[in-house]
Amino acid sequence: MSVLKTSLRNFLAHKGRMALSAVAVLLSVAFVSGTLVFTDTMNTTFDKLFAVTASDVTVSPKNADLADETPDTGRPEALPASLVEKVRKAEGVQDAQGSVTSLGVTVVDAKNKNVGPTGGAPTIAVNWGPYELRSVELTTGHEPRGPTDVVLDRGTADKHGLKIGDELRTIAATGDFTAKISGIVDFKVTNPGATVVYFDTATAQRELLGKEGLFTQVMVDAVPGVTDEALKTDIAAALGDGYSLMTAAETADAGREDVAGFLDIMKYAMLGFAGLAFLVGIFLIVNTFSMLVAQRTREIGLMRAIGSSRKQVNRSVLVEAVLLGVVGSVAGVAAGVGLAVGLMELMSSMGMELSTRDLTVKWTTPVVGLALGVVVTVLAAYVPARRAGKVSPMAALRDAGTPADGKAGRVRGAIGLALTAAGAAALVTAARAAEAGPGSLWLGLGVVLTLLGFVVIGPLLAGGIVRALGAVVLRVFGPVGRMAERNALRNPRRTGATGAALMIGLALVASLSVVGSSMVASATDELDRSVGADFIVQSGTGQPIVPQAQAALEKSPGLDHVTEYKWVDATVTDPRGKTTKADLAATEPTYVKDLRREVTAGTLAQAYGPGAMSVGSDYASEHGVKVGDVLTVAFKGGEKAKLKVAAITADTGNVDNGAMYINITTLAEYVPADRVPQSLLLLASAKDGQETLAYQALKDALAPYPQYKVSNQADYKEELKNQVGQLLNIVYGLLALAIVVAILGVVNTLALSVVERTREIGLMRAIGLSRRQLRRMIRLESVVIALFGALLGLGLGMGWGTAAQKLLALEGLGVLEIPWPTILTVFVGSAFVGLFAALVPAFRAGRMNVLNAIASE
Amino acid sequence: MSTAVTNPRHGGEEEGAARSASLRGGGRAAGGTAVVARARQVVKAYGSGETRVVALDSVDVDIARGQFTAIMGPSGSGKSTLMHCLAGLDTVTSGEIFLDDTEITRLKDKKLTQLRRDRIGFIFQAFNLLPTLNAIENITLPMDIAGRKPDAEWLRRVVDTVGLSDRLKHRPNQLSGGQQQRVAVARALAARPEIIFGDEPTGNLDSRAGAEVLGFLRTSVDELGQTIVMVTHDPVAASYADRVLYLADGRIVDEMERPTADAVLDRMRLFPGGNPQTPDFDARGRTS
Repeated sequence: MSVLKTSLRNFLAHKGRMALSAVAVLLSVAFVSGTLVFTDTMNTTFDKLFAVTASDVTVSPKNADLADETPDTGRPEALPASLVEKVRKAEGVQDAQGSVTSLGVTVVDAKNKNVGPTGGAPTIAVNWGPYELRSVELTTGHEPRGPTDVVLDRGTADKHGLKIGDELRTIAATGDFTAKISGIVDFKVTNPGATVVYFDTATAQRELLGKEGLFTQVMVDAVPGVTDEALKTDIAAALGDGYSLMTAAETADAGREDVAGFLDIMKYAMLGFAGLAFLVGIFLIVNTFSMLVAQRTREIGLMRAIGSSRKQVNRSVLVEAVLLGVVGSVAGVAAGVGLAVGLMELMSSMGMELSTRDLTVKWTTPVVGLALGVVVTVLAAYVPARRAGKVSPMAALRDAGTPADGKAGRVRGAIGLALTAAGAAALVTAARAAEAGPGSLWLGLGVVLTLLGFVVIGPLLAGGIVRALGAVVLRVFGPVGRMAERNALRNPRRTGATGAALMIGLALVASLSVVGSSMVASATDELDRSVGADFIVQSGTGQPIVPQAQAALEKSPGLDHVTEYKWVDATVTDPRGKTTKADLAATEPTYVKDLRREVTAGTLAQAYGPGAMSVGSDYASEHGVKVGDVLTVAFKGGEKAKLKVAAITADTGNVDNGAMYINITTLAEYVPADRVPQSLLLLASAKDGQETLAYQALKDALAPYPQYKVSNQADYKEELKNQVGQLLNIVYGLLALAIVVAILGVVNTLALSVVERTREIGLMRAIGLSRRQLRRMIRLESVVIALFGALLGLGLGMGWGTAAQKLLALEGLGVLEIPWPTILTVFVGSAFVGLFAALVPAFRAGRMNVLNAIASE
Repeated sequence: MSTAVTNPRHGGEEEGAARSASLRGGGRAAGGTAVVARARQVVKAYGSGETRVVALDSVDVDIARGQFTAIMGPSGSGKSTLMHCLAGLDTVTSGEIFLDDTEITRLKDKKLTQLRRDRIGFIFQAFNLLPTLNAIENITLPMDIAGRKPDAEWLRRVVDTVGLSDRLKHRPNQLSGGQQQRVAVARALAARPEIIFGDEPTGNLDSRAGAEVLGFLRTSVDELGQTIVMVTHDPVAASYADRVLYLADGRIVDEMERPTADAVLDRMRLFPGGNPQTPDFDARGRTS
């Protein structure tokens, strides 16, 4: 019989056991291919969108950057309408149209509810023009005909139940205005979740740009036969400098780049988790093949006795691995497509609409998935395969039964200890690092080494830890517990590998929860120490605060003061002529009370005086700047100012680290009013004893502006906690994948152990062990293995988390907080994982026929 | 067909003194009924229709208390099946089996398991012990499972009887085959079951170790008043019993009181094609 045939028969004979390993391969491959399909689909969606929306050449103002279409002022950079005529006269131009586009708007319905997406996609206000009709079709009602008409996209209308005649209020930096829905448009391509409102051109100009006769872009089409590039050159020649020109391809590239950053983060994060699932899957596969080889020792011995070479035996196991890899990967790629669709649904619910119409499966996806799945499986099966090759022909004659793995202990222990010690040293180095860069390298090294060390040393630790756990957990269950403990200890390598699979996932959970809760604790601590303001007002998406909202807030009763806080782009030149780019914090003198900053020199209050500023201690030491030195500050959209350094703030802590403060009145001297950025956030304090009243008043004042949120200190801390919690939950969700694979590993180990111990189980049943006791014994074994893995994982993870926190202390993560409730929950939860994993193996063991079991080989 | 025979076996080879002591065992039995286990019209059939195979064909049997009973018969005669049914390990197709007053053929798995645990002892041919437990843990296992405390006095006596006092902390893989079977005997005795079933308990042992184990079984009947039923195809092993039942084709065809190895061997030769079934039969017969 050929090697392939033997392997195939073996593979089919062990379908059940292979199935669990195949699921592990499947999950990992599914994650990889799902990620690829998802990102490819996103790319397709955006490519199609850019392809229909872009004109041959787009003319924009010089300092409007496409990537950030909402400038700090909240008002888009504009071009005079006369430019359109100028462009039309250029050579090669078929047609040119002015367009008004603003992303700095919020649209609310009659109940003051934001109808736009609150994350991801933007809200876009545009003028109704021929260019828009390339991507949409008016399917209901009529186009906007006057200042009270607005047309809305179908997706938004459906989501919020809006219909013709409903009122929409658009909040722009230039003011609020209300219009009634006159029509609804359908997108011809997939609209990835943006809310789009259309106004007639005059209304759009007046309300979005402040006055008529302005456009934000000129969209140009070439006469047939003229390339976009040639047209661009011609228009440049006709218009001269001062404009930014982009061909359709360039516009699409810029748009794609904008999206790519977000996509890449997602892609790498998900591939990271896929890698983790693979890592855990490897343990499962190694364990499965080890057990299959052990069970088949006699059979392999016989093959060797009748003349199979080592190589042939070795190869037959590897061929089985290839089969497993292929089966798992093929199913994985298919599951990956399903996963991608699921992800798209998830993104839709989060406001990023994606359509299965654009589902893109490139040929590379199945190839990568299959290659990865097969290679990893075969690599994982290599060690067991080699062990199979080493089985001597004598094994055929010996009694069946699993060979014990006694030796290796000392070598293993030495290697494991060395790795763990080296890893621990690296972690300590990381914790003590004075600089973040090298520190994080040490941290990474420490994590990898300690993980490897624990994996190697796991089987040796199994003895002590299982016994200790047994003393606590199993004693209650008497002889059944004792037998469970002995069984778990019977093959420490197997218990170690099974536990290690669970360990990896839980170590990451523990370390991230330590970092997460330290983050919250540190931020809370810092808020308590430094923030004096009672309230903070900001938008959830980082949108600046429109003046009308600010005015409403300032009129609110019970307030002691309101402090504006703006960021201004500028270049700063030190006395020696060295120039750096910086965001200056332009605020009001009351800010000194709202945020307590330590100074190393000077007085911070004086920095708010005319012609004065402050710098951070890092900048000061780097540039040799002292109090009294004069810096040259060139404001974006304004003039150059010479400002005297009045204070140097200590660069410790998280808030406003390295900020250079100036007074808003100082800013106003050098920057024209329409170029002054909007406030990024507002801080406010109540008059003594009126905190509750003021808080409610601020909330009421903000009711028409749902994009902003006011929080008092307590709520703010809570929100911070929730934000971190949400982020952690997403990560935990993804880590659950690794844990699922680890559970499969526990199931597999137990199932195979039960098969191996068939005779023993028969004997125990014969001498009076009840089904219930038998099932309990197997469940307890499972629980002990799971708790063993959890203990190692949580211990390791807390070590990692602590080292990471000590390292991040450099970045202001000063407080270490171990989230004991989470850690304990995970530990107890892993006991349930063990119970769950034992369900099927225990059930099958209980169902065994006593006589057959005793008689089995 | 057979009836209980309570009078213990006298005379024989080296255990004359022990024999007289077994009168005490008989005395214990006098407290209850003389018959500890009964089978009535027990049928065990596998398959149905043309493929139906009858392993036990309306068997009636009484096992006397405080006696050592051997069940013999050629391969496929149903001797193991009979023992498994008597012991509550296997179910019967029809008929009734009683252990004292309990009809075990009616019991569900849970009760049956309890019955095996509390009232029956087992000695199998091989693989009698859990490899993870040491000798004493294996011996007390049925009682541990039941959550009962072993009677320390009795346990010591059992352990002394089988001569294992210095091996109690050893794992099975540190014991010889004979020692392992002695641990199994001790386990069966320790819980003071009403009846012990042995399924070829010496089948895997050399003749010396076999004789040792059989000696202990004999002693436990004589000195401890234990009831033992043993399936064997070894005439020498059967000669340790008080009574031998012969099975052929699922029926009890004969029985013999106070057997000797030669008498058993002669009787076996009468079975059609039923001569020494196993290769080691002769060797064992001769060396004893």
